[in-house]
Amino acid sequence: MFANYIKIAWKVLLRNPFYTFITLFGISLTLTVIMVLTSFIDHMIGSNYPEVNRSRSLYISFLARRDSVNTGMMRGPMTFQFLSDHVKTLKSAEKVSIFSFFSSSNAYAGSKKINLQIKYTDSEFWEIMKFDFLEGKPYSDAEIRGSQHVAVITHTLKQQYFQDKDEAAIGKTIEIEGIGYRVIGVVKGSPVTRIYTAADVYFPYTAPKSGYDQKGLNGRFVAVAMSADKQSLKAMNDEFQARISQIPPDVDGRKFTSLEVPSQTFTDIFLSTVSQMGPNGKTIFYAAVAFILLMILGLPAVNLVNVNVSRIFDRASEIAVRKAFGAPVNTLLWQFLVENIFITLIGSGIALLLTFGIISWVNASDWIAHLDLTVNLNVFLISMLVTLFFGLLSGVLPAYRMSRLKVTDALKA
Amino acid sequence: MLRHFFKLIWNKKKANSLLMVEIWASFLVLFGVGSLIIYTIRNYIEPIGFEYENVWALTADQMNDTTEIVGKGQQAIARIRSYPEVLSVSNMSSNFPYSNSMMNNAYEYNKRKVQASTLITDENFGETLDIEMLEGKWFTAADSVGKYKPVVINHKMKEELFENESAVGKVISDKYKVTGVTGYFKEKGEFDKNKPILFEQVSGKFWNSVILMKVKPGTDAHFEAKLVKDVTSMLKDWTLEVDYLTDSRQNQHRITLVPVVIFLVVSLFLLVNVAFGLFGVLNLNIAKRKNEIGLRRALGATERNIALHFIAEMWVIATFSIVVGLLFAVQFPLLDVFGLPSGVYFLAILASIGIIYGIVTLCAWYPSAQASRINPATALHEE
Repeated sequence: MFANYIKIAWKVLLRNPFYTFITLFGISLTLTVIMVLTSFIDHMIGSNYPEVNRSRSLYISFLARRDSVNTGMMRGPMTFQFLSDHVKTLKSAEKVSIFSFFSSSNAYAGSKKINLQIKYTDSEFWEIMKFDFLEGKPYSDAEIRGSQHVAVITHTLKQQYFQDKDEAAIGKTIEIEGIGYRVIGVVKGSPVTRIYTAADVYFPYTAPKSGYDQKGLNGRFVAVAMSADKQSLKAMNDEFQARISQIPPDVDGRKFTSLEVPSQTFTDIFLSTVSQMGPNGKTIFYAAVAFILLMILGLPAVNLVNVNVSRIFDRASEIAVRKAFGAPVNTLLWQFLVENIFITLIGSGIALLLTFGIISWVNASDWIAHLDLTVNLNVFLISMLVTLFFGLLSGVLPAYRMSRLKVTDALKA
Repeated sequence: MLRHFFKLIWNKKKANSLLMVEIWASFLVLFGVGSLIIYTIRNYIEPIGFEYENVWALTADQMNDTTEIVGKGQQAIARIRSYPEVLSVSNMSSNFPYSNSMMNNAYEYNKRKVQASTLITDENFGETLDIEMLEGKWFTAADSVGKYKPVVINHKMKEELFENESAVGKVISDKYKVTGVTGYFKEKGEFDKNKPILFEQVSGKFWNSVILMKVKPGTDAHFEAKLVKDVTSMLKDWTLEVDYLTDSRQNQHRITLVPVVIFLVVSLFLLVNVAFGLFGVLNLNIAKRKNEIGLRRALGATERNIALHFIAEMWVIATFSIVVGLLFAVQFPLLDVFGLPSGVYFLAILASIGIIYGIVTLCAWYPSAQASRINPATALHEE
């Protein structure tokens, strides 16, 4: 019985290849766009390699001070000193890491120039950020205290810098700005879109030129505080903000009247960068996203409904003939149901293939280094159901109404 | 005649409403993407006003070093200037052309206020980047002794601050004296908008971290490695980084073009989808109206009349949708949400209207032509 439905559905699809093509094109295109987009969003704000603990971490990325008339403003990363006094000592945090934003430099391998991003970190950095070590291990507290010239590099840099690409890099020396560093670990790189972890070389914060012994408030470092679980984020935030409110804004003699150090989840940081675009930045952002989604989803949906509704007259005589030969309404309904599910499934299959194709192409292109987009199957299923809903609404409902007509009326149409 | 068409469509507004929604939405998508593309192209066709080939930017940051920063920096500059490979050297603030850093300040002349990008540069900047001067000349070391700080402004800033007057010798914000006006200068390159720029002379009090140098064509990383090594030995504990302006340029282009390309591709697919859909719907609609066509043909309507009739019907539907779409689109220049010049929006509206009529005509063409070939005898016989 069921096989029969599918057989009919298949024949119906082939009978009118052009309309089948329109429907399939609409379904697979919409699903592909939605999946590629969500894959990007997930890439930007999800808890992905190596920041797998994002959801239970607070990012403390800048200190902002304003004066009373709100004309002067100073905003930026902090000193190592400040962060180890106020963040490292948090009681509610399980682990705290202090590290610098990346800074740029160059290395030279023979006549080849390599552009580098450098990051200075403490040892906890490697415990919160779960990097894959392809070789060696991270630096320990002992190596940091001893101000040893050691470095962890990415696999990409290893391939660029050392002539023998297959030989282990551990123990070899890499020269950056006139100083030789011993390589003690090689990691799989983090994409540049994850600015808190992306770099090519990681140094202990005691390495030369890190600026960790700077005094005062404004420096080059930021911190990530990880709590035991998601629920204790709030407590950690409260404890930190209580501490920050104790610091006088003019502590270093500058004439500021307000001081804030936001401790935010990663999603909040992402959204606040957007809202900096202007006073209504957030509203504009949400409006734009809603509008784009509405268009991407709405246009093909309207299109699908339109084509389906127009086609129903095309099918009217078919329905009438079958009814005249004694097919019950239920059978007809089942046929249309199966037909719609069938075409939605084929469309989704094409979309899945397309998405995999696009994503692996984007990952392989050097557009963003170390990009690791993945397909989110939940989103895929949800959008498939939405498509099915529109298909049923526009295909089955009119068919049902048509099948309830008197045979003679339907036959005439 | 026209009224007749409108009446026909109006009477069938319920049947045509889905088509109208579809065209309305396509119009808005086209308008959005069109605005973005037109804005990008408008910026692109204005010249950047400087040469970026063979220019390197060396960023030298003093870090924790606090003694005689400016002196050490100047020594390094003198050393760089002495290499035969280097043609011209200029010291400037960190926001070099194509870089990601920016500095904005408000300037005032005669109660006219202008927000401008400030670049702190020395007197060799114009020469290093081959910037054209329209008026006056670049400031020199001798200018730094006066009461006012010497500045050079770009043409756009001159227009906004002085309009038709001559700018040379005028004092801005009671602090700066204009010594020259450059032609175009778009600091972030091709896709940057032509905005006001002010070049302020470097002062001897602070170190400005970027050393721009123009090198001989063909100079490679061998020389660069040697240069970095030499400068490192002079500036111990400083951090050094060399950027080629060509690389930074590529980076800036990527930042601008990637979103444009993504939007373009997505909306192209949407439009193709819509076009197919329209085509299909029209085909079916016309098939349903065979009797009507047969009757009209029998009463003497020509093939041309029939084809034109169906195309005209689509035009009327499109017009309804566009009018509604326009109500939405004009809000953008009126409310000025994204700060784009309103000319961009109007061009985008015109382009979208053109494309919508184009698509509609294209989709209606084949079904209409087919309809016009219907033989009145067969059509009426079926009835």
